[in-house]
Amino acid sequence: MNARNKKIRSGALAAFFVAMLLGTLSMPAFGQNPRLDIKNLEALAKKASEVVDVNLDGSLLKLASKFMTDEDDREALGIIKNLKGVYVKSFTFDEPGDYSQADVEAIRNQLQAPAWSRIVSARSKHDGENAEIYLMTATDGGSVLGMAIICAEPKELTVVNIVGPVDIDKLSQLEGKMGIPRLGEQTDESGQKPEGHRAKP
Amino acid sequence: MRNHRLLLAPAILSVALLQMLPAAARAGDSEFHSLVERMSDYYQKRPVRHMGWLNFFANRYTPGGVSHFEMAIFDDVDASRTHAIEELGSSLVSLVGPSYQPFVSVQDLRSGEWTSIYTRESGKEQIEMLIISIDSSDAVLMKMQLKPEAMRKWLEDPMERGRDARRGAEDAQRDRM
Repeated sequence: MNARNKKIRSGALAAFFVAMLLGTLSMPAFGQNPRLDIKNLEALAKKASEVVDVNLDGSLLKLASKFMTDEDDREALGIIKNLKGVYVKSFTFDEPGDYSQADVEAIRNQLQAPAWSRIVSARSKHDGENAEIYLMTATDGGSVLGMAIICAEPKELTVVNIVGPVDIDKLSQLEGKMGIPRLGEQTDESGQKPEGHRAKP
Repeated sequence: MRNHRLLLAPAILSVALLQMLPAAARAGDSEFHSLVERMSDYYQKRPVRHMGWLNFFANRYTPGGVSHFEMAIFDDVDASRTHAIEELGSSLVSLVGPSYQPFVSVQDLRSGEWTSIYTRESGKEQIEMLIISIDSSDAVLMKMQLKPEAMRKWLEDPMERGRDARRGAEDAQRDRM
């Protein structure tokens, strides 16, 4: 009887450790949370004349996908159904120069390597517009866990946080939808569109 | 005398119907009514009278894809009862309840106006939208049902639609004056 109890106990213990191991493997590594803290950018909010927040979390995205029945939405729908959330915060300012690069650092500080890597940096000297795209990939280097976009214009600053797997090549399908700015309209220093343009390390 | 009676009957009927209509419009959504009650308790003030009438007629003239429109306006509210803008978001969540999810919020920091838009699923292919717009002196509460075509417009450009909603609440306050 005792031997049987021991066997059951050791079996349960083994199952527990296997479950723990599987649970750990399925979670992003420590510090790999693709959700940015964009709610509390108080310093920027105080300088802005208008602040707009868009929150499309998992259940709302699922609901939204039911309404995207147009032929044009088909590809976007393919991306959206795998996402866990799309969060946008946009600040509008009265005058150019009402916010500084130091203010933008509050966001960039959350996008540090090795968890995040900047893959696109496009700048237009003519319009003073900057666009940066950051990706968070799983530690194995394979799947994308999330994306962040900082779109800075002289009188507007928009931060987009996409949580979940998104293919950078298909990002254009989401541009202009759900508050995600049209990045294709911006050009980098050489006058080319930023898509596919790799940032210098 | 008989002629008088003939004229009196339709008149009484009309008055009775007129009395019933706003109530019927209100009774259509007891949840909205209870939300209005909660806001009334909070502001210690009743909403503008005859809103039932406005809702009844607005419901028939709402733009494509929008139905079951209801609105309540609280004017000249006690400014001291309006939360600081940092706390307003969380206090609105507790006011509308957990079934609604925050979708878009627009803060106009010059006017101090805060517009919050909440959504939830409502039956098959319908979305229920709740818009609360608050500034230091007024509060507007709007509820409506959106069909897929209307919701698609919101998803196309939620920021601009949010700004539209803020302007709509502003217009509603102004037109009422």
